[in-house]
Amino acid sequence: MMTAFLGSLLLAYSSMLALCQGLERHYKQVWGRAPTLLQRRVLRGSGWLLLVASLWGCAQAWGWAMGPVGWFGMLSLSGFALALLLPYAPRLAVYGPLLGLPCWLLLFALAG
Amino acid sequence: MKQTLTQSMAWLHTWGGLLFGWLLFAIFLTGSLAVFDQEIDHWMQPEIKQASVSNAQAVEHAVAYLQRQHANASAWNISLPSERMPALRVTVGDRRSGISTYLDPLTGEPLVVRDTAGGTFFFRFHYSLSMPRNPGIWIVGLAAMAMLVALISGIIIHKKFFKEFFTFRPNKAQRSWLDAHNASAVLLLPFHLMITYTGLSIFALIYMPAALDSLYKGDFETFYREHIEVMEEPRQAQTHPAPLTPLTPLAPLLAQAEARMGPLSGVVIEHPGRSDAHIEMRRVLGNRIALTKGHNMVFDGVTGELLAGPPELRPSVLAQRVMFGLHFAQFGGYPMRWLYFVCGVLSSAMIATGLVLFTVKRRRKYASESRLGQQLYRLVESLNVAVISGLAVACIGLLWLNRLLPVELAQRAGWEVRGFFAIWLLSLLHAWLRPRLQAWREQLSLAAVLCLGLPLLSVISDGQAWGDSMRLWLEVTVVALGLLLAWSVWRLHQPQVQHSERRVRHAQAQVN
Amino acid sequence: MSKAGETTQAWPICSRVLAGLLGGYVFTYALTAALAQLLPLDRVDALLIASLLSFIVYTLVILWAFAARSAWCAWVVVPAAAPLALIGFWPHLLERLA
Repeated sequence: MMTAFLGSLLLAYSSMLALCQGLERHYKQVWGRAPTLLQRRVLRGSGWLLLVASLWGCAQAWGWAMGPVGWFGMLSLSGFALALLLPYAPRLAVYGPLLGLPCWLLLFALAG
Repeated sequence: MKQTLTQSMAWLHTWGGLLFGWLLFAIFLTGSLAVFDQEIDHWMQPEIKQASVSNAQAVEHAVAYLQRQHANASAWNISLPSERMPALRVTVGDRRSGISTYLDPLTGEPLVVRDTAGGTFFFRFHYSLSMPRNPGIWIVGLAAMAMLVALISGIIIHKKFFKEFFTFRPNKAQRSWLDAHNASAVLLLPFHLMITYTGLSIFALIYMPAALDSLYKGDFETFYREHIEVMEEPRQAQTHPAPLTPLTPLAPLLAQAEARMGPLSGVVIEHPGRSDAHIEMRRVLGNRIALTKGHNMVFDGVTGELLAGPPELRPSVLAQRVMFGLHFAQFGGYPMRWLYFVCGVLSSAMIATGLVLFTVKRRRKYASESRLGQQLYRLVESLNVAVISGLAVACIGLLWLNRLLPVELAQRAGWEVRGFFAIWLLSLLHAWLRPRLQAWREQLSLAAVLCLGLPLLSVISDGQAWGDSMRLWLEVTVVALGLLLAWSVWRLHQPQVQHSERRVRHAQAQVN
Repeated sequence: MSKAGETTQAWPICSRVLAGLLGGYVFTYALTAALAQLLPLDRVDALLIASLLSFIVYTLVILWAFAARSAWCAWVVVPAAAPLALIGFWPHLLERLA
């Protein structure tokens, strides 16, 4: 359950990040330039996909009855964390999931 | 009053939010702490040790003790140790008002445990404000309605709901407070709405008895009997005890109940040792979302025959119980509990930023007001300090009082609670007497110091810090909260302009 | 959060607050009772559904009291409650008359 929980938390944060970077204002905030139309679409598209993936992850952790409740909580919290992180440490906010992924994989491998 | 919709909603949001904001902050913060009520209970009873025993073993010890000490009692209640509450407790007589004894689950010997308000205090306070039950829940209900109204009017007046979804601009005085208020409100909106509405649903028939009056002429008992199919006939209270008959072995019944209902929280035995004995197996509340309080399995106490199982709920009752369950947050284990706790703390923070925003916006305006206006403004500022930081001091203060008050003090739990309110009242006095910024700083510092010092306190009072893994977690969490408070004190010391270079660096990136 | 809101006179505001809180409660009470009678369900289900929905109604009525064009308009909910109360409590009324 713990791996599914942390995995879907990672997915929830990533989806919020992708959706956020799909907005011109926040893309500029990190990279200092406007995103191309293609970039925006790819970011938004992957954001929605990750959103669905994190719902699936929550269902793995809690089942389909409780999963959506936890999913909403995760999305809210990761969105809020992202909003706080962006002005202080924009690069960390963006590269955070890349750091989180190997940690989670390690945990997954250990938990078997 | 010729105004646009936005203006009138803004008025409602501002003044409704201010008037109920203090109360709502207290309700939300104590409610968030109540998520960990049993963990706090356990921390506040250091005499109880964590031990792993099977339910069958624990029940065996409990029954042996009860047969020795209370063979003639009308009922025995056994609360089984669980992951969250490692205590084995037996109560003789009524489950709520009877006399409780804690037993060592390993040996079955009685333990002397200090009388404490416990984490249960936060739970009670958050729905009744520690007032007599009815006035308390009506005031809390009114505040919850104000919360709903503030949420909806807030959505109406927030012009850039989606455009500023992820926006937070620090170091910009009023702008930053508004951003923080908006971000915590918008991003956590599903939680705010859910927790407020489900909170109202718990006492729905008290707050709005219209349908009950209309369909049942206000007769709650009839409704209650109808809404869950009770298989068992209500039994007549007997004047003469039935003849003595030995109790059936409990271990097979425990296994049967566990197989059907999942983890169990306790066993109730009515008329133990008599021919009309009944055994009720109570389940843990968190096996599913729906709150299934009281829907348990009942066995005959002599033959061990199953008399009534957990009832099937009709869809409307199930929907209601799911709403209760969503509020009580007993399901989903510790990961879900943490989500609820953090969301609850952020809800409190959202309310707090709203309260602070009120004063930040008007600070200059009120400086040129009449004397009365200035005094009222000062009262608002002081109440903000006392309710936000003062409550934090009082909450952590309750944990300190638990270790500092003498263990043998009579009515000890009552003194803990009195201490809690005394601290809170003192914080108001302090906030009124001190200049605004100093008051914030001093109270937040005190709260931070009390949080950071908690492990030290338990080392000194119990002879060991982190008595077991549950207390370790609680103290680590409290220390983390202490660091957060210390950080906020440090931020208060920072002059507003210090981060200007960073602002220049990001100037081109900021699109406001 | 407008400055205009703070300089309005006290009486219309008081009237709206009362209309929202008390008038709104009366209206919600009557509507909930009427809904409980009208829902074509078992009375247990009708009671629970009507009661659980009542807080949405109350919230909207309070908002209406402040959004209404004039302070008098806000009180419209009270006369509107009368027919609803009639629907909600007509069995009781018939019993009385019989």
